[in-house]
Amino acid sequence: MTITRAESKPAAIWNFRLIGHHELNGFGGMGEGLSMQMAKDGRRILWAAHESAPKNFTAIDVSDPRNPKVVVQTDLPHQNMRSNSLETSGDIMAVAYQTKQVDMQPAGFELFDISKPEAPRSIGFFDASGPYSRGVHQLWFCDGEFVHMAAGARDFQPHDMKDDQFYRIVDVRNPSKPEEVGRWWMPGQRVGDNAPKIQRHPQPIRDSGFRAHNTNVYPQKPDRCYLGYLDGGMFILDISDKSLPRVVSNWDNSPPYHGFTHTILPLFGRDLFVVTDESTVDNAADWPKLIWILDGRDETNPVPIATCPMPPVADFKDRGGRFGAHNLHENVPVPGCWQSENIILGTFFNGGLRAFDITDPYRPQEVGHFVPEAPRNSSLGAIQINDVFVDDRGVVFCVDRKIGGLYILEMDF
Amino acid sequence: MTDAALFAGVFPPGAAAGPFGRRQRRARGARVPVILVTGFLGAGKTTLVKALLESEAGRATAVVVNEFGEIGIDQALLAPSAEGKVALLGNGCLCCAVRSDLEDAFRTLFTDRARGAVPHFDRVVLELSGADDPMPVLQTFLGERALAREYHIQAIVAVADSATGRLALRDNPEAARQIALADRIVLSKSDLASAEEVAALTIAIRAINPDAPLREARHGQVDPDFLLADSILPPPSALQADAPGHAAGLSTFVLDFDAPLPWRALTAALGLLCEMRGADLLRVKGLVAVEGCRGPVVIHAVRHLLHRPVELEAWPDPAAARSRLVFITSGGLGRAAVAALFRAVAGLAPP
Repeated sequence: MTITRAESKPAAIWNFRLIGHHELNGFGGMGEGLSMQMAKDGRRILWAAHESAPKNFTAIDVSDPRNPKVVVQTDLPHQNMRSNSLETSGDIMAVAYQTKQVDMQPAGFELFDISKPEAPRSIGFFDASGPYSRGVHQLWFCDGEFVHMAAGARDFQPHDMKDDQFYRIVDVRNPSKPEEVGRWWMPGQRVGDNAPKIQRHPQPIRDSGFRAHNTNVYPQKPDRCYLGYLDGGMFILDISDKSLPRVVSNWDNSPPYHGFTHTILPLFGRDLFVVTDESTVDNAADWPKLIWILDGRDETNPVPIATCPMPPVADFKDRGGRFGAHNLHENVPVPGCWQSENIILGTFFNGGLRAFDITDPYRPQEVGHFVPEAPRNSSLGAIQINDVFVDDRGVVFCVDRKIGGLYILEMDF
Repeated sequence: MTDAALFAGVFPPGAAAGPFGRRQRRARGARVPVILVTGFLGAGKTTLVKALLESEAGRATAVVVNEFGEIGIDQALLAPSAEGKVALLGNGCLCCAVRSDLEDAFRTLFTDRARGAVPHFDRVVLELSGADDPMPVLQTFLGERALAREYHIQAIVAVADSATGRLALRDNPEAARQIALADRIVLSKSDLASAEEVAALTIAIRAINPDAPLREARHGQVDPDFLLADSILPPPSALQADAPGHAAGLSTFVLDFDAPLPWRALTAALGLLCEMRGADLLRVKGLVAVEGCRGPVVIHAVRHLLHRPVELEAWPDPAAARSRLVFITSGGLGRAAVAALFRAVAGLAPP
């Protein structure tokens, strides 16, 4: 792998105002879990997952977004794991644990009582470890009742080890005793399936694995899971019977694209889906990784109608690290979260944070961007904006994947 | 004339959208603001622009001029770009010399900015040469297929030399037109002119442009906010248009409307005007309450071109939430005829 450092990386900010920045005590390599707790004492606490060890999660008091304060920062039990994803629902937080190798502990998710943000208290653990499992990569937890997640399991042996994580639903209404209530995987993913093995992406298309990533479920349509399945594309699942999820539709752009379908954001008021593919390779070797707009009028037949414009790959690919789409602000259905069906905010690693007006979904227009300079001590020499969350005040929080920590912005478009 | 958005009837528009797309916080939407600086030869445009660049508020400004030489930036010049077209200035500014194709220069500036090939800029100041007629430039920025999507003319600033401005206005139709089209006017070199000269020039300017805010520059400088403010409309209390306002064949007048207008009536009237008298319609600008819209709609037309309407989230000054259209015309196109046209068209509108 070659990492080319550009001569200069101009900071670019357009129609955003940077109002705060916190390096998170030197542990500013952040994952894809950003969740806001509206604490009972009136504070707004942003809970942020770390991209990798040694830190588990950090809570930041962002009541005054110009003066963010770390209220707690916790450590993982060991270095061979990560907790890249978390969500809060009221005073309960779920944190995903994924180990570096299979058959390690702790692999699953942990539940915390965060009613005192300074002192998160473990109140439950769901074990997803096993001889073929690395545990939980990502989870969705908004209703205080069910965790929807991308996880392996003790009883799940994939044909290909890249396919170890699938969609699982866990009832956490009794947090001390979480119980699985349903699961779904792609037919042919598991040894023993009554279906032919999944066809791998043929060379030179990347084979990143057929496994679950984002598992979004919204109260507007509680019987649907919007499931990113990496090289399997996007699935809409009918989960009206959680014990037996059924496929409503599958949209898969790869090949010819390089897979890694990551997030599906349904815009219920607009009959649209916003879908991202994650760039996972430095120097944009998996280009193009895009934000897609899909016509969702018929959920059984989602039709791609546009992609969000990006700056030229030639000018970004060699800046250091990755360049391409990744996470979105997901209209998480919890108090304190901004809801928007006209503006889409997405993260693009060294392409920074970008905002798009999709009022005309056939013609998404960029309306703002934020590409900070390489953070202090950056080994890549470039920013890697990884995740974004917008609160209901319109304050935007985005994080660097490597070292830069938390950037706080106001939208000005 | 633009009607409701293309996707209407296919996808619901979303809570943030009105008939003309997403409601905007301000007229420019997400576009890059352009400040057009006009003024007759030797009026002091360059001094004014230089002072702006050197101010804190003027940081991150890209300047487009006809020739580098004219703005005299040599000492501030840090490094020309590879193409030799763009000069990077101190204070995070850059300067782009245009020899022929303005449109091409602005496109290149925009794409270079997206690429990170030039320092990021927040606005463009376009300094026209003294003899330039601002009309073709305005038209370039209004055509939907040209630069209108990425750039927004935020203000036309005219600079007039306190000592010689009156002569220029008397002898040169371009100078009068520059003043007529201006959103804001700067009297330069007032420290070199007598009070009588300044007063006489002010009267001459007011005969052409009764309402544009006017400021005297001291040693080539005015408050940067005066140049950078984003309102194209003078405060309503200042409106004196409809007063004699005739000079050099130019007229400025205002129409205001008590009730929200049906969009069809408004576009029918403006469309007819553009079609029949476009050559004399130098500029129409204003904020109008339109039936079915929550906020006011920004209207901006130059000659035959009506810019795509933009709905604002709210009136800039809720206390002055009244529809107003400012007309700058030539060829004797006066208020009475235009008002009669609007009345007639409104009468034709379905009940």
